[in-house]
Amino acid sequence: MSAFPALNQEDIDFVDQALRELLQKSEANIALLVEKAGYLIHQCGNPEALDTTTFATLGSNAYNAVQFMASLVNENNFTSMYQQGENYSTLMVNVDENSLLVIVFPTHLTVGSMKYYAGPVVRGIGDRIKIASARGDIVDFSDTDARDVQTLFQKNN
Amino acid sequence: MAIINQATKELQVKIVYYGPAKSGKTTNLEQIHSNVQVPNPDAKGKMTSLATSSDRTLFFDFFPLEAVAIKGFKTKFALFTVPGQVIYNATRQIVLRGVDGIVFVADSQYEKMEENIETFNHLQENLKALNLNLDDIPYVMQYNKRDLPDTAPVEYLEFLLNNREVQVPYFEAAASNCEGVFETLNMITRMLLHKFLNDGVRSR
Repeated sequence: MSAFPALNQEDIDFVDQALRELLQKSEANIALLVEKAGYLIHQCGNPEALDTTTFATLGSNAYNAVQFMASLVNENNFTSMYQQGENYSTLMVNVDENSLLVIVFPTHLTVGSMKYYAGPVVRGIGDRIKIASARGDIVDFSDTDARDVQTLFQKNN
Repeated sequence: MAIINQATKELQVKIVYYGPAKSGKTTNLEQIHSNVQVPNPDAKGKMTSLATSSDRTLFFDFFPLEAVAIKGFKTKFALFTVPGQVIYNATRQIVLRGVDGIVFVADSQYEKMEENIETFNHLQENLKALNLNLDDIPYVMQYNKRDLPDTAPVEYLEFLLNNREVQVPYFEAAASNCEGVFETLNMITRMLLHKFLNDGVRSR
């Protein structure tokens, strides 16, 4: 399994633009790019009322769990997952081996329309991630003073 | 694998607390969450626990914690536990995905030795299923519940669980009193950051 690549400012600008266009066209509330280990990579929309870090972690683990469940019955083509709510629903769509697109939208919109608008966004972001992977950037921390990381966390008295 | 975002200058690192049922994994996270000093309230996220009605971890516990900036990169640690019960072994594998560092929380009581060993073996198997090797991942041992009667000597636990080619650091702990909890956390974070300082963070 290859790792999720280091994204630079241009990559993030590309993802930001893609998610903004998705929200504009689909009228969804929030769109997140999430790495499947549980990391939030980027978010767009109006997430003030939502703890998006926790949301991303729960979403990715739920997706991984259901994908694992599907594989037990030999369903290996698992590409999306949908949670239907009373006010808001969530659609999670596979981007690539390492990442997911998570869309939160009001229930008066249909999941079919979300999938329709998400399709090109997922392909675009997937291609951009391939470019970042091919670049293979390495962030070098070797000139950092190791004494700076001796005791990171202190207990309250 | 750690995630680096050069645009937002963030390094995200995943640490998983792994061990047998009721060994104190969730207690470790609760103590850290309750007692850690943070420079600002945003540096510590909310603790999320997916537990059964009897408070046993069903999927995982989780909270994010921010630490120092290294070369201008803000370091965010995501702390996870796995469910200890054997029936949830598949779930443990899911939580291990993308792990950077591991704390193995062993129960020091004599009667728990078999469970400790079995869980340690499961850890290696689960990593293998994810194409990972324990020898390549920074990890530490925590011998918890040292405050209880009938605990095995540390030498015995070391012989059973840390008797490998390269021995890893171990800590005695009584997590319910927050003893040994921060020592363990600081060691695993230090090992991880030293790894990044030496190797850099590679994107593929």
